Amino acid sequence: MLDQSPSIFSLIGLLALSVVWGVAALSRGRWTMLDLARPLWGIFLAIAVAEWFSFGVALWILAVLSFCALREYLSLVDIRLQDRWGILVCYLSIPFMFYLIQINWYGFFIVSIPVYAFLLMPFFVALGGRSEGIVFSVGALDFGLFFYVFCIGHLAYLMFFSTRIAMLMVATVAVAGVIAQLLQRRNVIVSLLVQILASVALFAGLAGWTGIPAVHCVGVGILIPVLVCLGRFTLKQIEGDLGIRADRLQPGRGRLIEALKCYLFTVPITFHYLRWFLKWGDELW
Amino acid sequence: MAVHLFLVRPLMRLLFGVNVVGRENIEGLDRFVIIANHNSHLDIFLLFAALPAGQITRTHPVAARDYFEKPKILFKAVQFLMQPVWVTRGESGLGAIKEMQKRLDAGHSLIIFPEGTRGEPGKLEEFHAGIGLLARKNSDVPVIPVYLEGPERAFPREVAFPLPLWNHVTVGPPQRLQGESHDIADRLHDHLKALADEEQALRQRRTEGPHRPYCVAVIGIDGSGKSTVSKRLAGASQGESCFIGDNLELFKDGTLRDAQPLVTEQVRKWMSRQAKATKDLAHYKVPKLAELLLRDQLLSQVERWYRPDAIFMDGAPLLNMAGWAILYHEEYFNADVCAKALDILCGRDGGLQKDPIFAQFPELRLMSRLNLNHLHLPDAVIFLDVDPDVSMTRITSRGEKVQAHEDVAKLTKLQSAYRLVCEVLESRCRVCRLEGNKDLETLVSEAHSFVASRED
Repeated sequence: MLDQSPSIFSLIGLLALSVVWGVAALSRGRWTMLDLARPLWGIFLAIAVAEWFSFGVALWILAVLSFCALREYLSLVDIRLQDRWGILVCYLSIPFMFYLIQINWYGFFIVSIPVYAFLLMPFFVALGGRSEGIVFSVGALDFGLFFYVFCIGHLAYLMFFSTRIAMLMVATVAVAGVIAQLLQRRNVIVSLLVQILASVALFAGLAGWTGIPAVHCVGVGILIPVLVCLGRFTLKQIEGDLGIRADRLQPGRGRLIEALKCYLFTVPITFHYLRWFLKWGDELW
Repeated sequence: MAVHLFLVRPLMRLLFGVNVVGRENIEGLDRFVIIANHNSHLDIFLLFAALPAGQITRTHPVAARDYFEKPKILFKAVQFLMQPVWVTRGESGLGAIKEMQKRLDAGHSLIIFPEGTRGEPGKLEEFHAGIGLLARKNSDVPVIPVYLEGPERAFPREVAFPLPLWNHVTVGPPQRLQGESHDIADRLHDHLKALADEEQALRQRRTEGPHRPYCVAVIGIDGSGKSTVSKRLAGASQGESCFIGDNLELFKDGTLRDAQPLVTEQVRKWMSRQAKATKDLAHYKVPKLAELLLRDQLLSQVERWYRPDAIFMDGAPLLNMAGWAILYHEEYFNADVCAKALDILCGRDGGLQKDPIFAQFPELRLMSRLNLNHLHLPDAVIFLDVDPDVSMTRITSRGEKVQAHEDVAKLTKLQSAYRLVCEVLESRCRVCRLEGNKDLETLVSEAHSFVASRED
């Protein structure tokens, strides 16, 4: 890890989210926790554990989050009886990929899902022995594996390099999400500009804390709101097809997937931007 | 209870995810009968996960003893966890009903799967009458319909392992029912069906396949009245329907309408005349085969250009070929050969390349080589079983020229061949055997009710 010392902010964030959750739970339905905040709590827990305790444990907290998201997605999508072995492979690729993060084997991690899982899984779906509908099945499973395992895996790798940047990125995504909610009725461009201003201000203001050079603070600051916007737009269409509806966001009916939609585009691209420009991991070669 | 609260429930939540909707419907009741749909072994654990903690030890499922008897450890485990009311399948249910009554009288609650056994995934079967009897006797005990969605995907029948997928337990409002017992069972069925429809309406579905007409073939020996029956069926059918027989007719809601002529139809008619004009069976074979192949081609063209909702055929090329084999090679003809021939002619002959059937029937090899082995398998088959003597008198009374194969001995053979074909077909499509010696009106109405009874 690149950070020198654990920061108090992760604990503050975790505590604040826990208090919100506790109040929501004790109010017996008078207040409900923002759906956005649930996975945020999990991510902050992982970050706090990574900073104060052990990265190895934090990693597997994110693996559980990934498992829950994939499980929810697969519960919603129309699968065939013959896809069961393929689904099993999907689930098993979660520990496979997270283990590669744990041993910091970047080269294998980056091809684990797009090469190995994407080839192995169709093979196991084909073992099911029914041709009709296999293209849709493989497509649906690929999609879930990519978004809910691979993209969330990038968050874990970002945490490996810098928990502070991971924390700041997650917080920025949450801020962008809240601003987008507040400015829902305004023009999209206006809303986006406000989000960019806020996120650039956050990154630039905390440049000394995260150690990102000023020019890349601006770059990432612009990138994150744009990606959040793209992710929200794309996932909204997909949620419509999956039957996720705002009036029945129950556990298992898209509550987690809905809350994660802002992160799915943002995490991998931010990670690769930073890894490229800050030359993370280059000392390995 | 501790096992349930601290082992079974957390395990279910961790692995599968349990979402209970409508828990308030069950809280505060001291005695109830839960009825639920049954698709999976997970069902009972899900229901126990939805119960209020105080009710866990006071609620008993009804379970089939023969299913859980072996191994002994399973029986002991089930007995320890749930203290079920045991039912022995195949015996009179009165003993079990008495036992259930005893538990209810003791102030305990019951869980019943009124479908009896784990049915088709996602499909609600008819309810057994026992639930009606019990509900009528205990009109003060509320019946709670619970719909379980998810276990049919997480752990359906006949799969090796469960998969982590979410389960939703929808608890409906408690029902207090009065009336006749079968009436009560019907009403409960409707309640559960309503819950099921509501839950399933929002599920993601893949796009449906292309429009395919429902294809009904009426088969039988010459003079069995199959032509008349199939034409009458086409005329009585709703929507667009098509009759393929000696000629091609198109109906819309029962009235004949004009259609663009098809060249294949003209060629087929000519070929049919050639076949009818032959004097012996050896010369009959080639033109008849050609005619049947053209008829199948015609079926594809009708599907493509007319796009009817239903097609009614006088005979079916595939089945006619399979049946006619008996006239040429009676010594080889049996159910196994018949099934293989049907598979080959439908183009599903994987692994049959070196089978002796190709030596016995060289026509099959030729047709596979020429790629002529993709005949249509009808969705439903109606077999008119007529006494060959009766059909012979019908043929002679027509006053037309008698064809090469039309004598009692050959027709009897054909008749038995068609019977065999129908037996083989039963695993492949819907088959209905009608006694053809009756008068036409009854035959048509019977055939019509068979066609109408199909599931959409």
